[in-house]
Amino acid sequence: MSHLRIEQLAKTYGPVSALRSANFEILPGEIHALLGANGAGKSTLVKILTGVTSKDSGTIVLNGEPIHFTSPDEARKNGVAPVFQDPALIPDISLRRNLKLTSTDEKRFLSYLTNMEISVDVNTLVGLIELPILRMIDLARALSHDPEILILDEITAALPIDMADKVIKIMKEHKESGKSVIFISHRLAEIEHICDRATVLRDGIDVDTFPTGEGSEERIVTSMLGTQSRPAPVSKKAKSAEAEEIFLSVEELRRGTSLQGITFTVKKGEVLGVAALEGQGQDLLFEILAGEVKPDSGTLKVSGEAIKFSHPMDAISHGIAYVPGDRKTALLPQRSIHENLAATTFKGIRNWGRINRTSESLKVANAISNLQIDTRAASQVKQLSGGNQQKVTIGRWVTTGFDLLLCFDPTRGIDVGTKAQIYSLLRTFADKGHSVLLFTSELREIQLACDRAIIIYEGKVHAELPIEKCDESSLLSAVHGIAIA
Amino acid sequence: MMNQLRLRERSWTLGITALFLILGIWRSQQLPHFGSYEIKTIILGAVPIALLAMGQSLIIIGGGINLAIGAEALLINCLTAKFMNHTSFVHSLLIGILGLACSVLVGAITGWVISISGIADIVVTLATSFVIVGLAMVIFPIPGGGANIHFAHLVTGGGKSFVFPLFAILVPYLVIWVPLYRSRTGISIFAIGSNKDAAFLSGVDVTRTRIKLYAFGGLFAGLSGIALTCVTLSGSAIITIANAATLYSVAASVLGGIALAGGVGGLFGPILASFVIYFIPTIMLGYGIDPAYSQIIQGALTILVVLAGGWLRLRAKRSK
Repeated sequence: MSHLRIEQLAKTYGPVSALRSANFEILPGEIHALLGANGAGKSTLVKILTGVTSKDSGTIVLNGEPIHFTSPDEARKNGVAPVFQDPALIPDISLRRNLKLTSTDEKRFLSYLTNMEISVDVNTLVGLIELPILRMIDLARALSHDPEILILDEITAALPIDMADKVIKIMKEHKESGKSVIFISHRLAEIEHICDRATVLRDGIDVDTFPTGEGSEERIVTSMLGTQSRPAPVSKKAKSAEAEEIFLSVEELRRGTSLQGITFTVKKGEVLGVAALEGQGQDLLFEILAGEVKPDSGTLKVSGEAIKFSHPMDAISHGIAYVPGDRKTALLPQRSIHENLAATTFKGIRNWGRINRTSESLKVANAISNLQIDTRAASQVKQLSGGNQQKVTIGRWVTTGFDLLLCFDPTRGIDVGTKAQIYSLLRTFADKGHSVLLFTSELREIQLACDRAIIIYEGKVHAELPIEKCDESSLLSAVHGIAIA
Repeated sequence: MMNQLRLRERSWTLGITALFLILGIWRSQQLPHFGSYEIKTIILGAVPIALLAMGQSLIIIGGGINLAIGAEALLINCLTAKFMNHTSFVHSLLIGILGLACSVLVGAITGWVISISGIADIVVTLATSFVIVGLAMVIFPIPGGGANIHFAHLVTGGGKSFVFPLFAILVPYLVIWVPLYRSRTGISIFAIGSNKDAAFLSGVDVTRTRIKLYAFGGLFAGLSGIALTCVTLSGSAIITIANAATLYSVAASVLGGIALAGGVGGLFGPILASFVIYFIPTIMLGYGIDPAYSQIIQGALTILVVLAGGWLRLRAKRSK
């Protein structure tokens, strides 16, 4: 008998139908992957299942009884516990008060945390806890309610590898006790090792359900993309001698305990990959290069000239554009795609002059077509899917122009198709002679997108690898600080 | 890792306590005699604003703001002054309880309107402030009234002792705020003020919590109105009193360390800040300085304190 059965679930948001007719079944004691490209309807399905939003039509049957949750609290009490992509903890109050808010037993919670080898003082304000730990806390809290069905939405995204392994171990234990897990992930490599079955959604309809195993990746990608072909590695132009010219050189950059003397160069016309585990100082490095944070010591040279940034504007005027990891900090969420794309073109506008709409529209239209941005929800950027939002954050700099683009994990939580588009976009930048510095938390993408890679470990460049040596296993050893032959 | 935000809150409380002590000592030096009676006078002067500031602070913590809180207090002041006049102790007490029920109801309705309309708190409560003051003027057109003197002594105390006035502040703090802070409702209030979406995902009923939030705000406003009746033994439906009271309540909240963004703070700071707000004009009046200047100083002080607070917060963030 099935634990949970979803039949013909449908939901529309205004003109957009997020779910058209989704069917989905979870058996007791299984880990079931829920897959699909961005905008396929996964999030909507999870939101309906957990009482965050209401369905338009369709039925949900839990343990033989039709259910309709009107709040996350009700879902939790009925054994359906979600862990969302953004941890649902209140930042301004202590962890203890957060636990009390959700009527979570503190002892049980702490025993789960101990099991994960994490120790946190329950009196700490949640806002001060780092995101990866917060996700583990959210998971421990969900587990404390002893859920029949645990829903993990992109939990492994941006988790350091050791923590991701712990999550996987916990999922397996949960399954062995006869309960079920719904697992949503864009890291396809994980799926075949972790999950028992997978359901793929496309355009709000379930297109395929099958047992996972060796080689499922191919099938998943095919059904996710439909008729589209699988993304291939982007082709790289052979580099000529002049491409060896250095655009940016970073020497002995230090800041606090996080950056302990980082040295590397970015050449013109290359995509330089940065690989690192969570918290090795890469965030700070990007913020320093973008002019947001000042280093304690060290030199930055742009085209051979030593410079100091005291404001992001300084970096921008030296041709360095920053695409931050958190899209929300880069976008004007309530404004249109047009305005977001045009927001960086302020240089050409006089303080009190009129904005030249014609030339602006031209630039914006160019960016939209270059980046293949889906403009159906053009009036407010916050209504776009994650992938399209990411394209807008990059597109802002396409309209202005730049010499070096700093991309911090631009494909986090983004589907395969869009990922390929973003990588080929970065490649066209490089082919035009611009440089790209790309940090990605998904190691195997380094080889797809980059010309060369540096590995940061404990605030220093631990190794530099030519692209031929950037296979996933070498990178994996390198990011853990292991020397490479 | 040291809890930087806690540290900030603590240093803020320390700062406002220091300011309170400095001004308190200053004021005591001005007076020819300083004893129990003088302390009583000072506390009585601050009681209505302190209670109102507690209500406003609570609402700001919950992510709202109530521009009608002074009007709510004024309405209860008028109602109680009208119906308590020439009555027995028990009768006055009953009127007082009814008055509180009335202000809780007004608060709850305000919270409900804000929730279902989706209109910003500041707009809804600006509108309700006019409605409520108008209501007070209809009910009580001519200033006057009174209350049973023994009932009034519950707040003022009969003799020279400052114990009763002090209780008028401490009892609501200990009986309403302390248990509320520890309860699930209290946590929910902090939660919706801090992050509404996360609160909803944590199982908080946002609408119901907001209604409770404004109802508690109304409760404090009602207490403030009754305290005013007891202290002045009269009521007067004058809109400027309501508006000034509202502004003082916001000023006391901000001075007392409540973040206007919501989700942060406690009620102890705002109580001390109410005294600071009371001290400034009184001290200046003691020197025979035009009260207009005290307004200027009060405003400048508020900006200074908020700047200092912002600086502390920035420092806490940087050292994180």
